[in-house]
Amino acid sequence: MALTRRARFAYMLVLPSLLLLTMLNLFPLAQGTIASLQRQNMTRPNPYEFVGLAHYAEALFSEGSFWSSLLKTCIWTIGSVSGAYVLGLALALLLNLDIRGRNLFRALFLVPWVIPDVVTALVWKWLYNDEYGVINFLLRQLHVINSPVHWLSDLNLAMPSVILAQIWKLYPLMTVVLLAALQNVPKELHEAASLDGARPWQRFFYVTLPLIRTTSVSITLLTGIWTFQSFDLVYLLTGGGPADATQILPTFIYQKAFFTLDLGYASALGLLMLLIILAISSLYLFVSRPSRVQA
Amino acid sequence: MSETAVAATPTFSFSTSRVFSKNLTWLLIYVVLLAAIAIVLFPVFWMVSSSLKPGPEMFARNMTMLPVHLTFENYVKVWTETKFATFFLNSFKVAGISTVLALIVAMYAAYAMARINFPGKNVFGMVLLVTQMFPHILFVIPLFMIIKTLHLFDTHYALIIAYVAYSLPFSIWMMKGFFEAIPLELEDAAAVDGATPLGTFHRIILPLSGPGIAAVTMYNFIRAWNEFLFALVFLQSSDLFTLPLGLASFQEEYSFRWDLLMAGASSISLPVLIVFLVMNRFIVQGLLGGAVKG
Repeated sequence: MALTRRARFAYMLVLPSLLLLTMLNLFPLAQGTIASLQRQNMTRPNPYEFVGLAHYAEALFSEGSFWSSLLKTCIWTIGSVSGAYVLGLALALLLNLDIRGRNLFRALFLVPWVIPDVVTALVWKWLYNDEYGVINFLLRQLHVINSPVHWLSDLNLAMPSVILAQIWKLYPLMTVVLLAALQNVPKELHEAASLDGARPWQRFFYVTLPLIRTTSVSITLLTGIWTFQSFDLVYLLTGGGPADATQILPTFIYQKAFFTLDLGYASALGLLMLLIILAISSLYLFVSRPSRVQA
Repeated sequence: MSETAVAATPTFSFSTSRVFSKNLTWLLIYVVLLAAIAIVLFPVFWMVSSSLKPGPEMFARNMTMLPVHLTFENYVKVWTETKFATFFLNSFKVAGISTVLALIVAMYAAYAMARINFPGKNVFGMVLLVTQMFPHILFVIPLFMIIKTLHLFDTHYALIIAYVAYSLPFSIWMMKGFFEAIPLELEDAAAVDGATPLGTFHRIILPLSGPGIAAVTMYNFIRAWNEFLFALVFLQSSDLFTLPLGLASFQEEYSFRWDLLMAGASSISLPVLIVFLVMNRFIVQGLLGGAVKG
């Protein structure tokens, strides 16, 4: 097939990126897949013993930790993303009013987004500190509590506490993106709806929400995928504890790979996670398709 | 609404109360906004405030929101008595080099994606989208094996390679959007004047893409500056640690020295915050143009 000069030029431009992506994404993916079929154990005579789908079977059917981790990952993801969406939308609606200094407010609301994860984790750990933490201090001043609350080491409170920190991290992006979508909603639609006697909440549910649906779907999908695979905050805040109460898949995989040194099993878990992510994304894209046709 | 018009109408008192309640609503909106900012920025405020308190004040029974005796002692300690300065240089080196490399590689691909219709373009676009979804925790395991085989474990090369790879897809998407916004006529004119395709790109397109390049650079730099997982897995000697890893390691070393930890945390955040507040406009534009449209 004779390629045009223009197309050959394009390949030349794309080639370096393609090579890097192949070497650093597709090759590791293949390597990970192979590793997931092996029992990697450097102390044995045959360190790369082929075990077929044994790791997958173990994760899915015999070892309960995979399912409990998956459940916790779902709670963590859904909790953080829905919390961040509600907060982000509320702030975006406020900023969408005709206020002065909108850009300044938007910049200030974005600050948590640029704070490094490690800093976020440390700062929240300090806020949550049992004895010297400011949250316990304020609650005691207000006579809400008498004895310090163990935010991160209590079995029932650990998950909500890490979710709150993640919401703080996620809402800024939601605010910026939803604000941009809100500003594209034509004012005339609201005016027409008010003339027809629609109350503010009716205008919100029947005019605003449907018009920002596509944006909402794509931003919740994106942040959902990020949160589902995010490692830093939970690892640094609780390390998956107490008693695995916050053991989400990424921290579980990390533990299997770099503490138990079970690289094969950890790779299998990672691939299962990738499959889940791909399934959710395709489902989401499929669900969101009709509205895109309308728009 | 003019006052005379209001006065002329019989519903005088009703109208003023409406004007009044309208102003009250606006006042309420600003109060809510300011309260929201105060709550949301409180963790950042608390970090800075804690870092400026002398040790005893931090662990006092009666906490104060602002330091009573303001001190920079914690900063001095962190920067001179720990390896913090080394971490800072390491981070700067790794984030800087990987950002520049990613930018150079990505801009050519982005130009091809923006301007040329070549067979396989859609497949390449799909690859870019899908690789962005790959969980880092899945990649870190095989990359760790590869890096060990290549004897790059515990070197900065390992990190630079990983950061370039992971900022490529997003950079290409973002710059593609910026290039598409440049009018085609400029390139046609250059071609008529006899410029080569590559020359056109270098001399016409690149100089016009300043804001786009700034946004991508910013974004990648911040991402590399903040990255934790790869650094955690690929590095072992504390002399090579980047800031996030270094700070996390302090947590074990100085577990009760929250004054030092907060000074370290503030020191890491400050450069990112300054860059962000200066470049805020570009970053928001880039986010809206690249991340969400794609």
